Amino acid sequence: MSGEEEESKNKGFRLLGILDVQNTPCARDAILHGAGGSLAAGLLHFLATSRVKRSFDVGFAGFMLTTLGSWFYCRINNAKLRVQQRMIQDGMKNKVMYEGTVLDPTNKSRAETPSSPS
Amino acid sequence: MAHPSQLGFQDAASPVMEELLHFHDHALMIVFLISTLVLYIILAMVSTKLTNKYILDSQEIEIIWTVLPAIILILIALPSLRILYLMDEINDPHLTIKAMGHQWYWSYEYTDYEALGFDSYMIPTQDLTPGQFRLLETDHRMVIPVESPIRVLVSAEDVLHSWAVPSLGVKMDAVPGRLNQTAFITSRPGLFYGQCSEICGANHSFMPIVVEAVPLEHFENWSSLMLEDA
Repeated sequence: MSGEEEESKNKGFRLLGILDVQNTPCARDAILHGAGGSLAAGLLHFLATSRVKRSFDVGFAGFMLTTLGSWFYCRINNAKLRVQQRMIQDGMKNKVMYEGTVLDPTNKSRAETPSSPS
Repeated sequence: MAHPSQLGFQDAASPVMEELLHFHDHALMIVFLISTLVLYIILAMVSTKLTNKYILDSQEIEIIWTVLPAIILILIALPSLRILYLMDEINDPHLTIKAMGHQWYWSYEYTDYEALGFDSYMIPTQDLTPGQFRLLETDHRMVIPVESPIRVLVSAEDVLHSWAVPSLGVKMDAVPGRLNQTAFITSRPGLFYGQCSEICGANHSFMPIVVEAVPLEHFENWSSLMLEDA
């Protein structure tokens, strides 16, 4: 039963038959931002010039630029988060592995503070 | 493993495969935008009223359709080359396993410490127990410790085979008389399935690969048991 639910979720919707918007990170947001940017750009151009075809062209250009911009912005942020996540995971692993030894990462703060002579 | 009618990649089980998935998403978004652009241009060409047949050249559009593809190619090539070199990094493997292709089964040799070797045959469909996967299960799995760099040396005893595990992002041809090397790290414990990926005869589709990633203690227990049984 759960397998059937997973299958129906995985079959999802693919734009132009290739882009799985539901399961690709950042894709849904990029397409939605692109749609909004396209509508805004096309509408503004039409209101300013009353040229229908050229407004469609401007709207499409707005779609491309907004989608690309949103996509790269989201992907760069995700990449930074992934790097941070890996650093945290490695730090936790090193902490567990080297706890109580010379290599313990938390010992560095103690080593740096000068000890008073006895 | 793959589910029925799956089109996309399997979930990544190694850092390299995660990078490959991200690169694939990046390239696919570019492909999607180019396809949308071409579709829009086709619709515009079909519906235009501009029918001048005597335009000979136009510097502006020629510059655009030269520079833009070059930029797109650079956008695709840079992350691609990054992953290419990432996959070739030398990562000081903790364990070396030899995977030998035969007609029609794989054999694995763990010779770092003791001489451990075994064959891995597909479990026939009639012998499967409930919950097992048809054409994917084997009688002996290649067991490895999780989160440890593993080197696999792939070769073949008779004809060409190919050792592939999609969720680990690994595929390496098994060529008789040649030793090919690949390496990977599993990010999480579990079972990872693959199938022979080079046509090798009648039962090419029936020599699967199963990699079982377990914690180190379990791996040590397993190797001790296998050595006792041998």
